Amino acid sequence: MLAKLITITLIAAILLFTWRRTLSYLRYFQQEEYNTTRFIAWIKSNRAYDTRGSLILLLALIAHLIFPGSGASLVIALASAVLLLFIANVLEGDPRTTGKIRLNMTQRATKTAWVAYGMLALVGLIPLWGSCCSCSHGSPPLTLTATCGILMAQLTPVALMLATRILSPVERSLQDYYYNDAKRILADLNPFVIGITGSYGKTGAKAALGDLLTQTLGSTFWPKKSINTVMGITRTIRETMRPHHKYAVIEMGAYNIGSIKRLCDFTPPKAALVTAVGIMHLERFGSPENVYKAKSEIAQALPEDGILVCNGDSPNARRMAQEHKRATTLLYGFDLTKGHLDCFATDITYDESGTSFVIHYKGERYPGRTPLLGRPALSNALGAFTMACALGAEPAFAVACLGNLPPVDNRLVLDKGATVSYLRDAYNSNPTGFEAALDVLKNLPATRRILITPGMIELGDQQYDENKRLARLAASICDLVYVVGTTNREAIVAGLSEADFPRSKTIIADSRDEAFQLLGEQSAAGDLVLIENDLGDLHEGKVRF
Amino acid sequence: MTQSKRTRVAVLFGGRSVEHEISVITALQLMQAIDPAVYDVTPVYIAPSGTWHTGPQLLNRSFYAKVPGNLGTLQEVTLLPKPGTRGLTKLSDSSIIPIDVFLPAFHGQYGEDGCIQGLFEMADVPYTGSNVVSSAMTMNKYACKIFLKEHGIPVLPAQLIARSDAQHDIKGVVERVLATEGYSLPLFVKPCNLGSSIGVSKVKEVSELAPALAKVFRFDTHALVEPCVNDIMEINCSVRDYEGIHTSVVEIPVSQSGVLSYEEKYLRGGGKKSGPSAGMASLTRVIDPQDLDPEMKSSVIDLAKRSFTALGCSGVARLDFIVDLATGKLYFNELNAFPGSCSFYLWVRSNPRVLYTTLIHNMIESALKHHATAASLDRNIGLKALRS
Repeated sequence: MLAKLITITLIAAILLFTWRRTLSYLRYFQQEEYNTTRFIAWIKSNRAYDTRGSLILLLALIAHLIFPGSGASLVIALASAVLLLFIANVLEGDPRTTGKIRLNMTQRATKTAWVAYGMLALVGLIPLWGSCCSCSHGSPPLTLTATCGILMAQLTPVALMLATRILSPVERSLQDYYYNDAKRILADLNPFVIGITGSYGKTGAKAALGDLLTQTLGSTFWPKKSINTVMGITRTIRETMRPHHKYAVIEMGAYNIGSIKRLCDFTPPKAALVTAVGIMHLERFGSPENVYKAKSEIAQALPEDGILVCNGDSPNARRMAQEHKRATTLLYGFDLTKGHLDCFATDITYDESGTSFVIHYKGERYPGRTPLLGRPALSNALGAFTMACALGAEPAFAVACLGNLPPVDNRLVLDKGATVSYLRDAYNSNPTGFEAALDVLKNLPATRRILITPGMIELGDQQYDENKRLARLAASICDLVYVVGTTNREAIVAGLSEADFPRSKTIIADSRDEAFQLLGEQSAAGDLVLIENDLGDLHEGKVRF
Repeated sequence: MTQSKRTRVAVLFGGRSVEHEISVITALQLMQAIDPAVYDVTPVYIAPSGTWHTGPQLLNRSFYAKVPGNLGTLQEVTLLPKPGTRGLTKLSDSSIIPIDVFLPAFHGQYGEDGCIQGLFEMADVPYTGSNVVSSAMTMNKYACKIFLKEHGIPVLPAQLIARSDAQHDIKGVVERVLATEGYSLPLFVKPCNLGSSIGVSKVKEVSELAPALAKVFRFDTHALVEPCVNDIMEINCSVRDYEGIHTSVVEIPVSQSGVLSYEEKYLRGGGKKSGPSAGMASLTRVIDPQDLDPEMKSSVIDLAKRSFTALGCSGVARLDFIVDLATGKLYFNELNAFPGSCSFYLWVRSNPRVLYTTLIHNMIESALKHHATAASLDRNIGLKALRS
């Protein structure tokens, strides 16, 4: 009787443990956009296999095999159940409420979790079924229970991947419905669509352009944050596009060749802004030429009488403007040595309240200010300004409006504290952005300049060199450098030591949290801390199951 | 007193205004102070999206921390613009929650500017506070200035700038402002229709004027440009109508430096979204200052009464005046048709003392009286033109 009770308790504990674990894996699966290939790669590279649950159950299994039916094996089985519950509820935490990027229980996530869990629970209930059928012992066998438990713990990610496969027809038809609905809304309301793409800067440029158009020309729709996929845009159009929207600014992310074309078919642009064509996400494209091809899809989608505005500082964006000329084709930027620019900025200075500049456009000078910091932000502002003027905004008023551009979260935002100030540039770092952030760090007043960074990712075979190069630059500016995580540790440390940065001022931390804790012990009044990039849980490499 | 004889009051708050949260705070305070033996309160919360909700949970301050996620636990209601409904209509089953009088406790747009008052008029229900025209007039700073000037009340000059003019020719607008006599720097730029510190700036250099105007036009279709009085003293006074017009004691908001600058009055909190009421509540103030020149005090009281009457206000209002310390001149600055905390902190210090409970009680009585007066007007002359 007691044995039966304990075994059932263990089964219940395994079921609860598995539920929590399903959600924990789902969090990462969701961050990998339910992409099976990328999820498997993540599991492999992080060795994110279950160890805790399996180890506990293995002990229970061994104990039972050595002392079958004895009190000792029962006590161990009971202890295992308690431990499993402890791990699930205390040690690992609820992925829906803890962690840097939380599990968002969307409809899709909920469905996937339940289908996966259903399959796992079937395995978990085998021991009960066995005991009912055989009926001889009357109690589900402990060996079978523990074995099934181990199986469940190991198969959780597999179950999740299987669940998405099972659900994919449902998901696809649902997505089709939403897609068509959004397309109908767009056709009904018919706003003037401006597409934005670029290897970096497109989210900042989208926010700047959306805001500037609202101020100068009329109500503008733009999906907030970095929403740039068909599904994300579909959802935003269905939820927030209104008849008063005269313009729609759509960020178009290139995940592979053809993805921008798909977006252009969905929301056909009449104008396009290209912020840069660089080497970001090189791993996904294979070659810089492929990146160029993928980005060019936006220019190809424009009608002959369309407007194409490109960043002239980026050689490939400049090339796009030449190869895909439209009725209005304009170049903006800072660097006149690279060729003609229709709109450019000079006299750039930073202080704690923002950036001052003079914009040159059609032979006129327009002095102005923006609360945004750094060259990338100013470049986005220039792109937005050029596009707004091409659409008919009065340049002098548009410049005045640049003074109101709202900062975009975590993109070089200055947080002035009573003692320590922070420059937050935690969003998807890239070489240009990193360099600009260091430039701002150098130019703002501070007693000590501190850098916290895990380095940059998704730079293909240039990742090591680029991280090293910027570490060398940081060495000439910073008083302290915190290197976060293991992803780029080697490259950053190598760059710092090459530049003779004192080893004692290089601080290694396994996670961002640890870096902040160490910083907290060290920081003093007048410190200016640049937080450059934040890789999220996926790349921090501290996942332990 | 039996349950059924209590007057049923709907307290409306929140709303589609930048001062949404301040309104919630004012309303919670007010519902605490209202006499439960006389009044049966129905709280009606208007969410930032504009939907109306009711339920006892609305009396707990902690409820608002989880909005909008928890709105589903409330009953969604509306007020139909149909005379004779005499209550709120539940959206779930169209049944009526009977209400005798409506008490709008909003600050800012849609609640203090005549919009909701218009709905009350359409529905033909009694409501507290100022009517449509008075509310609208006090919300539009420019209209209010011009109107009061006509009534002999001293006001600071102001230029009205339309957003569409600025969008087409900002250079011309800036040139015209600066060419006008009396408009030398520094200048003060603010939205014409917002009752909060949002969009307000002090312009010290010519190059700052266009960006300051652009900032206003994020929030409003019209901007006001005023010459900036540098050293000012602010004097506020509350006025109410209940069997005559009464004024409260005056208050002087003070700063640590002793002189309140325009920046301190309007730019507290560094332009973050703290409304003026939060500012008013957090500001150090001297209530009923004993060292204030009695002549100045009586001028304030006189101007306050005259302004309140000229604008046709009702209920409890707060009028803010400023004194140019360089010249000693007194100017009307603005009128809050429904001030933060209902200005009760001034009335409890007044002579005779008026408790918050009494203040609300009188507001409701006035509202019922105004409604009865309006109902006695002959509006029905029959349909003749169409029948002949």
